[in-house]
Formats: sequence, structure tokens, C-alpha cells
Amino acid sequence: MQASRIRWIISAVTVLVIVAAVFAVLLAGGYDSSRALAALWDGAFGSPYAVLSATLVRATPLLFVGLAVGLAFRAGVLNIGAEGQLLAGATVAVTVGLMVGGLPRPLALPLVLIAGAMAGAAWASVAAWLKWKFGVLEVISTLMLNFVASYTVSWAVRGPLQEPTRVYPQTVELAESVRLPALVDGHRLHLGFLLALALAIALWWFLTRTAAGFRVRAVGASASAARSAGGIDASRTAALVFIASGALAGLGGASEATGVTFALYEGISPGYGYSAIAVALLARLHPLAIIGTALLFGALEAGAAAMQRDANVPSVLATVVEALVVLGVLALDRARAPRRSV
Amino acid sequence: MVINIAVGITMACSAPQKSADKPATGADSAFSVALLTPGPISDQSWNGGAYDGLLRIRDSLGASVSHIQTKTPAEFEENFRQYGAKGYSLVFGHGFEFQDAAARVGPAFPQTVFITTGGTRTSANVAAMSFAFEQPSYLAGLVAASVSKTGIVGCIGGTELPPVKSGFAAFAAGVHAVNPKARVVTAYLGNWDDAGAGKEQALAQMARGVDVIYQNADAAGLGIFQAAKETAGVYVIGSNSNQNGVAPSVTLGSVMIDLPHAFIAVAREVKAGTFVPRVITLDMKSEVMQWVVNPALLPVIPARTLHMVDSLSRAMRDGTFSLSFPPRPTGNP
Repeated sequence: MQASRIRWIISAVTVLVIVAAVFAVLLAGGYDSSRALAALWDGAFGSPYAVLSATLVRATPLLFVGLAVGLAFRAGVLNIGAEGQLLAGATVAVTVGLMVGGLPRPLALPLVLIAGAMAGAAWASVAAWLKWKFGVLEVISTLMLNFVASYTVSWAVRGPLQEPTRVYPQTVELAESVRLPALVDGHRLHLGFLLALALAIALWWFLTRTAAGFRVRAVGASASAARSAGGIDASRTAALVFIASGALAGLGGASEATGVTFALYEGISPGYGYSAIAVALLARLHPLAIIGTALLFGALEAGAAAMQRDANVPSVLATVVEALVVLGVLALDRARAPRRSV
Repeated sequence: MVINIAVGITMACSAPQKSADKPATGADSAFSVALLTPGPISDQSWNGGAYDGLLRIRDSLGASVSHIQTKTPAEFEENFRQYGAKGYSLVFGHGFEFQDAAARVGPAFPQTVFITTGGTRTSANVAAMSFAFEQPSYLAGLVAASVSKTGIVGCIGGTELPPVKSGFAAFAAGVHAVNPKARVVTAYLGNWDDAGAGKEQALAQMARGVDVIYQNADAAGLGIFQAAKETAGVYVIGSNSNQNGVAPSVTLGSVMIDLPHAFIAVAREVKAGTFVPRVITLDMKSEVMQWVVNPALLPVIPARTLHMVDSLSRAMRDGTFSLSFPPRPTGNP
């Protein structure tokens, strides 16, 4: 009783501190804070347009990569490389998409998505192999592979994948048959969102309801205990999870390329793979909670854009406000439930 | 055909704007203009110049304005759509990289004119500006070669984008017109905002004997000016905006795009309802592209070079001297 009251007080204080900090930051910059916060809300949830063309669209790649990171971390695999796996997925999806664009959609689209997932898996398996063979820490290898992937995209759009006039650093646009269809007419939300939702539920089911999922969690809790007490092949389990995690991130890249950008560009990801770590950790690696945190991040980014557009708040300050809100949610989460940990 | 389009746009623009919902935004005044930049407007270059143009439109034409900095192709389209949905009259996407998003969004918002500064895609309400970067870049090359004592000059760009590449090619041609034996060292930073990387690359080029650097790296370029200020006998040539004031002691001149001039001209047309979608070519003849010498450093430049630059720029303004390095982009990607 006493403890829960203290928690409530802490939560209330946290909210007040964060709101005060947001106001202080905006006031210090000389901006109209109530107008900025109204824009933040409107940009995220204020209209069907905001929800269906901004928030959910931005949440989709974060959900894919959030699940990728969440799954890996659950098995104790510190995959920091979702960014690179996403880029690999987007690159191969576009490459295949350009080749099979002439086929009918029911055939072409699954082919493209599977190719993207396989590319992500292949990119992750490089790090998995390095770990298994030489004991290279995956935190380092996956991080380095992110840079390799990013520069490979830059090279590819100026080399083998460049559009035929060879002027612009990008590919040609994908044919209709390899684009993910829109879910609501006149809005940007695409089928990739439903796919990501389905994967979140499937992953939750897998982790909590299947023997293989139990093994994954056991390895994540303690690899040595899982090995000695459970007779689980911990390194094999970890390697498989690593590759599956890469496939999820790669699928995220394929979804972004075929659902949103329709071509390969250098700047296709603003760092989804890194945001995904926050998305997954804030959700305590729970697949269903990751849906919520991906939506939170998507909403915040959509809202931050509206702060720039409608309240003249510069990009950097909008990002500060975004980060403060995430910090607030994190603090609130911890204050409400101090005993549980990741 | 053209007349039909023009009439369509006139009607769209003169139709009364809906101002019911959002009093805080720009869309409630009759003429509203938005700008998407790929980088920070504090760069005193490509993005800063565009923002100045937006403010000029606000002040001269009484438009309400809005600006957003965007990073990814997904954000380009999202924000084009948001502005279109709010009934903005004119939306600028500042760079060729916005052209696919503009072409895709255009048909959904026929009352809004979308313009990309670069690129070639046009449709009923989508147009592009094309800047003849080569002309003043060539003049900059003449100056650089005649000021360089080592015969080695440098180019530093943000990333390898079409307008940057063609500017550097013309610069090199100018350099070789003065000194056929001169060497041109070119480097790209891989980004447009890391001033530390800009400074590092500039110092690396100086270590190789480079004593004049033509920079086109926006916010990252500010580090190049810094490096030159700290090293005796090294000069910089600015780009995109008049950067002579960034570091007056080391800046020979600027390859300038008068973005406010370009923006306001097109905004006037849109406001008047006379705008016809097209690729708007802007060069020295239209006075949007300019070579602006820094008066403080005039004594450093040989008189013979100044005469040559003067007569060539006159010829470029008259349209009697033209250049093309490399072939200008044609057709859609």
C-alpha cells in the first residue's frame, strides 16, 4: 500500500518534470510551447491523415526492426546490426523487384519480400558466422557491417543499380506489381504494416507457446544453464535466432522499399536500426509491447515533423522534445514497476 | 495543351482557400508557401539560401510560410502530402532528390504547385529548376588557377551529387584553361553536415600542396573555411550562397545561386496564376547564377585574370558564351 503510493507520487513527479522540461526547452528557444505541443499532437493523431499517412507509416519499419532486435536480445544476441540488415533487405528487394516487375503481383511481390528477408538473414549470418567461428563479439561485427551496408548502398546506386540516364544516385522506380498495395485509398499506409503486426503476434506466440521459443528464452536467460541443465545447444539456438533476427530486419527494408520509397536511394533509412534498439528495450523485448513502442516512436516522429511545419520549431529542437518524451515514458515505466527488469 | 494547363492552375490558385480548420498554420492566408530542405538552414549555403528565399517571399508577397528539414525519401513524400492536404499554394523541395516524391504527390493535390530545385520531372503542377552551376564554376576555376602558387587546387564536396559533379568538372576546365599543367584534387566527405570531417579533408588536401579549395559541402563546408583560416596562404571558394562573409580573409569569391531571386520570381508567377509547369533553366543570363568576387581579396587576384573573368561573365550574361560540363541531365530517371 505504502509502496504503491510512493510509486504514484514518483510517476506524477516524473510527468511534471518532463512536461516542465519540454516547456523550458521550447521557451528558452523563444517558441510558443503550447502551439508546438498542439502541433506535436495534431501531427501524430490530429486527423485521419496524420494517423494513416504519417504515424502508422513511420511506425511500420520501426516495428519490423524492433521485433528483429527484440528477438535477438531475448536470446542474448546483441544484434546492433539491424540497420545494415534492413539496408541489405531493401537493396536486394529492389534488385529483385526490378527483375520480376513484369510478373503478376501475387507472384512477384512475395518473391521480392522473401528476397529481402533472405538478404537480411544473409547479412546477419556473416556476423553469426564470425561469432561462432572466431568468437568475434557481435556488437562489434554487426556495428561494422552497418557501415559496410550503408556504403554498399551508396556505391550500388552510383554503379550497377543506377538509373539508366546515370545522372541521379538512385534506381528507377519499381513497377506497380512489386509495390505493396495501400490499405486505405488516398493514404500512404501499406500492407507492410499488417504484415509487421502479424509477425509481432506470431513472434509472441512462438516465444511464449512453443518449445523452441522456450529454448530461445532459456538461452537468453543463461546460456550456460540452458546448456548444462536443459541440454540445449545454446550456440546453435543463438545462431538461428541471429539469422531470424536478420530476416525480420531485412523484411523491414523490403517493406520500406516496396511500400514507401518505391526505389533505392542512399538515405533510405534515417537510422531505423538504431532507433529499433530503443523501441525493443522500452517494450522490455515483449513482441506485443513492441507494437506499442513502435507506434509511440512513429507518432513522435510524425509529431516532431508537424512541430517544424506548423510551429516553426527547428529540427534539432523538435528532436530534443521527442527524446524528452521518450525519457519520460521510460522513467514512468520504471517508476511504476521497479521490481521487474529486462 | 499548355494553355489548358495554365488555365487550370489559374483557376486553382484563384479559388478561395479553406481557412476553417487550422488558424496556427500557413494555410489560412490566401497565398502560402512551404519549403523542404535536405539539411539545416544554418549552413550559410544551399539550405540557408533557400530559407532566405522563403523569407523573401513572405516579406515581398505577403505569403505565410513554413519550413521543414527532411532526411529520407519517405519524409519527402510525407511532408509534400501534408502541405498539399493543408492547401498550400506552392511547395519547394530543395534538391533534385525531391523529384520522384513531387511527381508522385502532384496528381493528388492539383491546387498546389510543387517545385524541385534540380531534376527534370514536370507534370500539370510539378516543375523543376535547373541551375547552370557550370558557368560560375568555370570562372572560379580561372581565378583559382591564377592565384594558386603550387599549381595544385582542390575540390571538396558533400556527396557525389549531379550538380556538385558538374560544377567540379567545369571548375577543373577553368583551372586547366589558365594552367594546363595544374592538378585538381577532388574529394567527397560522404555527408553534408560534419564540419569536423570538412576541416580534416581540407587539412589533408593542404598537406598535399593544395592552396585553393573550391568547396561545395554546405554545413560541412564551414569546417573547410575554418581550416583555411588557420593555415597561411590557403584560399577557399564558396558555393551556393554568397559565402564571402563567412571567412572574408580567405574567401576569394563565391559561386552563388541567387536563390531568393529564383524563388521569388517563380512565386510571383504562381501567385498571379500565370505559372506554367516547365524546367526553369537558371543561369548567368538570368542573373540567378553569379560569380561574386570578394572585394577584400581583389589584390590577390592578377589583373589579367580579373579582366578575363569580367569579359567572360559579360559574355555569359549576354548568352554569347556557353558551357556544358558534363551533359546536362535529360529525361526522367
